Amino acid sequence: MSQPLKPKSLRREGDGLKIEWNDGVTTFAKWSALRRGCPCASCRDVQSKPSDPFKVLSAKEVAAGPLQPTAMAARGHYAYQITWNDGHDSGIYSLDLLRSLSTPVEPPSSSS
Amino acid sequence: MHGQHGGPQKVALPGIKFIIAVASGKGGVGKSTVAANLALALQMHGQRVGLMDADIYGPSVPMMFGLGLVDQAKTAFPIEKFGLKLMSMGFLVDPNQAVIWRGPKVAQAVSTFLGQVDWGVLDVLVIDLPPGTGDAHLTLCQSAPLTGAVVVTTPQDVSLIDARKGVKMFEEVRVPVLGIVENMSYFIGDDGKRYEIFRSGGGKKLAEEAGAPLLCELPIDPRVGICGDTGEPIVQKYPDAPISVAYLALAQRVLEESYSRPSDEMLPDVML
Repeated sequence: MSQPLKPKSLRREGDGLKIEWNDGVTTFAKWSALRRGCPCASCRDVQSKPSDPFKVLSAKEVAAGPLQPTAMAARGHYAYQITWNDGHDSGIYSLDLLRSLSTPVEPPSSSS
Repeated sequence: MHGQHGGPQKVALPGIKFIIAVASGKGGVGKSTVAANLALALQMHGQRVGLMDADIYGPSVPMMFGLGLVDQAKTAFPIEKFGLKLMSMGFLVDPNQAVIWRGPKVAQAVSTFLGQVDWGVLDVLVIDLPPGTGDAHLTLCQSAPLTGAVVVTTPQDVSLIDARKGVKMFEEVRVPVLGIVENMSYFIGDDGKRYEIFRSGGGKKLAEEAGAPLLCELPIDPRVGICGDTGEPIVQKYPDAPISVAYLALAQRVLEESYSRPSDEMLPDVML
């Protein structure tokens, strides 16, 4: 039986998250992509509606500055919870979701 | 949404070797009876055992152990009975009063029972989950380092439908299913014949589907209900009864399954 997909390490890199997985693949996800894919009930409701081109940022969102996480904690054996700098923290990202929101990173070329 | 600071906080329980959740999906299959007797049977195997009743809306542990509402100001939790450490909502709320809470409050109560009750050093903490796949389950799976789950079913299809959902939930949150227990499996009549009152084979079927072992088929014994209602579980009152022997075998299997699991499966920390 194959091993279930699991991260070996997760670390901030630039404006996103780099994850090394136990299947040998390394992926990267921008913070903005992770936030757009937030699986919490309120974000899913927003995601299901057409985007509002005239959306005005709240004072809290403006004060928070560029979107980034302030904490990312494991939840049980299956997920991570991200706390964002605007206070949003209700998204529990399963490992499968983290993998699907990120894209594989090409390994560095060994010929050069 | 899980409240102001997000989901339940991770609870570290370094003094507890194994945390076993007893779940069913369906209500009324005897899950609390199994949890109580399993806890006592584990203790008879020389284990230090706690039993946490996570059924906030319908706690059963107090009645099963001959206990009830206590004065919180004068009582240290967990309460000890028959050598087990016990915690239940039923110690805190009058049994005639309904607990009418939304999910986040339930999650908070479960986290408090787990993290703020002084369980001390235990070999096994058995957690009696409520039926369904709701807040209490999710809180435990997200915050407690569960060793695994034991899923209780009765033989008939109507129980299997929900037990299957319970198994699916544990798969989704990556909590290993240690095995399936088929309760009320058969009845041995005075004529010595075996009667399968609620059909047969449901537990085996679920175990095959889940890729988990069928840990035990527990017989029907009318004394189980009487013992539960009078505050002394059957394993304690009639340790030589066939069903008690079955519980002892179940406890042995649960220990074997628990020891066979890798102990360190926690996810790595994120370097932010």
